[in-house]
Amino acid sequence: MSQSLRPYLNAVRYSLEAALTLRNFSSQEVERHNRPEVEVPNTSAELLLQPMHVSRNENEQVLIESSVNSVRVSIKVKQADEIEQILVHKFTRFLEQRAEAFQILRREPIQDFSISFLITNKHTETLKTDKLIDFIIEFMEEVDKEISEMKLFLNARARFVAEAYLGEFVY
Amino acid sequence: MEDWRRIDIDAFDPEARLRPEDLVPNYGTTITLSELQPKISQLRSLASSGDMSSAIQLATSEPPYSADEQTKHQYFLAVLEALAQTRQTDMAKVVKSLDRAQKDVLVKYIYKGMSLPEGKKQGGILLAWFENLTQDSGVNPIVHYISDRRTV
Repeated sequence: MSQSLRPYLNAVRYSLEAALTLRNFSSQEVERHNRPEVEVPNTSAELLLQPMHVSRNENEQVLIESSVNSVRVSIKVKQADEIEQILVHKFTRFLEQRAEAFQILRREPIQDFSISFLITNKHTETLKTDKLIDFIIEFMEEVDKEISEMKLFLNARARFVAEAYLGEFVY
Repeated sequence: MEDWRRIDIDAFDPEARLRPEDLVPNYGTTITLSELQPKISQLRSLASSGDMSSAIQLATSEPPYSADEQTKHQYFLAVLEALAQTRQTDMAKVVKSLDRAQKDVLVKYIYKGMSLPEGKKQGGILLAWFENLTQDSGVNPIVHYISDRRTV
């Protein structure tokens, strides 16, 4: 892990540790419903807690919104140029379409972010909270690597294709 | 009154629902920008003279909770300046000199900084502050931040 990435991930880890103290909570609006309070339009302000922004720069940031029974973690992955924008979009979409396999993944990111996770009290009851945090930190570590690897591969492939195609016209 | 089953009786009970402004404690008085100006200039002069420890101490004691957003922002800019001017090697020492209430305020300013465009440019420095703070007192100030309704 690079020297400048470490404080960023540490800050996210501590913020998540503080936020992931969830409990079962029935809806105050609808009888016999139990829904993640961070997701629904809420008329009870006491259920939502202060949101936490952790940002390394304008392009890389994490927003952690917590409520009494759910936490929403949104990650903005570094996108330096247009190729990376496309790659990040495709990559996160690929994951989101398979969201049921990831349990905590949200099917759609919230605005201005690349990917969102929604952790509810169900998850913290059935899964280990430390491991959940580890998973998110590892995801953030890996996704940058993955995107830059894909970018290199894409460039190499484009060069090869261009050479093969344009080679036809050399006599 | 034929449709009385559909009346939302909770709407008539003021205690049934809490609005965000109900959660903020009643401060009594509101601090205006002109009242705060001496503190801001004192903070700036301490920061420019290089006495970071006193500057951060001053910045994190009695923040303007009761002020409006505009005033809070002016104060925040001065605090951010002081935070950004501190050298990374001094941060641990400064954090050690703060008491618990001051650390709670410091973490509020760090999170506020990282949520605004002015602070995002200083992301590295704010993250360094954050790291020093968590090394000193762990997760405590963050837990206080999450549930504290007094915003800076």
